[in-house]
Amino acid sequence: MAPEPKLSHTAAMILQAIHMGDGYGFSVMEMTGLPSGTVYPAMRRLERDGLIRSQWERQSIADAGQRPPRKYYKLTRPGQATLEVSERRYPLLAKLARVEVEQS
Amino acid sequence: MRIHLAILRSAAWLVPGEQRAEWLAEWSAELWYVRQRGERQTAGFCLGSFRDAFWLRRNSPPDARPRLRFESPARCLGFLGLAVAACVLFALRFHSPDLCYHSPGLPLPPIWLALLVMLSQAVSGLPALVATTSLRLGEYPANRCGWRWVFFACKIALLLPLVFFGALDLWPIAGPPLRGTCMMVGYVIAFRWALIDQRRRCPECLRLLAHPARIGRITETFLQWYGTELACPKGHGLLHVQETPAISLPTQRWVHLDRSWSGLFL
Repeated sequence: MAPEPKLSHTAAMILQAIHMGDGYGFSVMEMTGLPSGTVYPAMRRLERDGLIRSQWERQSIADAGQRPPRKYYKLTRPGQATLEVSERRYPLLAKLARVEVEQS
Repeated sequence: MRIHLAILRSAAWLVPGEQRAEWLAEWSAELWYVRQRGERQTAGFCLGSFRDAFWLRRNSPPDARPRLRFESPARCLGFLGLAVAACVLFALRFHSPDLCYHSPGLPLPPIWLALLVMLSQAVSGLPALVATTSLRLGEYPANRCGWRWVFFACKIALLLPLVFFGALDLWPIAGPPLRGTCMMVGYVIAFRWALIDQRRRCPECLRLLAHPARIGRITETFLQWYGTELACPKGHGLLHVQETPAISLPTQRWVHLDRSWSGLFL
């Protein structure tokens, strides 16, 4: 049986925020309250470990909204499995999701 | 906006070249959205880019980093020799040492006086060197390390005049009060590099080791060590560098591989 992947609480929060939110860096910062210097390196680490993947928004969509294109992050299949493990390990992660739902 | 973009562009210089454009595009786009929410947190957001850039610099594959190719000992010594020659020529052309070291109180010829200053500054930097890096070079089989010491001595012998004449070239910029300090700091940096470079070389062919691989886990140090394993490109052996010293592996250790392993290193 393969060992369950373990994340730090911060990395789990960021994974949860990517899963729940809009999937770009600033939205993760807003949801978690973490500074940019923590969020972006953590997202690079998660992407390197294959838990999330990134994709640039199409230029035509950004042009239609008269704004620069963003880079969006999504959970991969291993990322979703890791998030489920992390939710069991850190029960307070669910609170982050609830707060976000109440605010919206 | 201009100052914020300047911060991002400054941080971008830390990012490896092939990732820089995309990295800057992502941060610039995010900055645009942050500014829509108000100016207050914009500076803090931009300053966080340095940490992200540092992370990418530290975690980029070794081949992606621009660096001088010092793999072979001959190339390393050749480069140091050329650098010494350039510094000496420049110093003699523009700042003759006998002018800088003219000391009527001491009955020594200028060349000996320069040598005395060189050695005294190098020795005065030793406490700072000990504080910034370990002086231990690791465990190596005694019968295989003869050339290592010759190579190390050559590096030190070239670094002594390199820093001395390099500092001499910079003296007009640094100014008289900082002359001694510049030279001492130069010696600390140079000797630190020499030690680190020495620890990362194969003791048999003196080439820089390659193919770093992580071994073990930080939580499992009781029965095994954890750290990095490096291999000689020519297949002479493996170097085990522990993350923290342990009883089983107090310092980095060289594991010699005999000829039966040569098939793995073609």
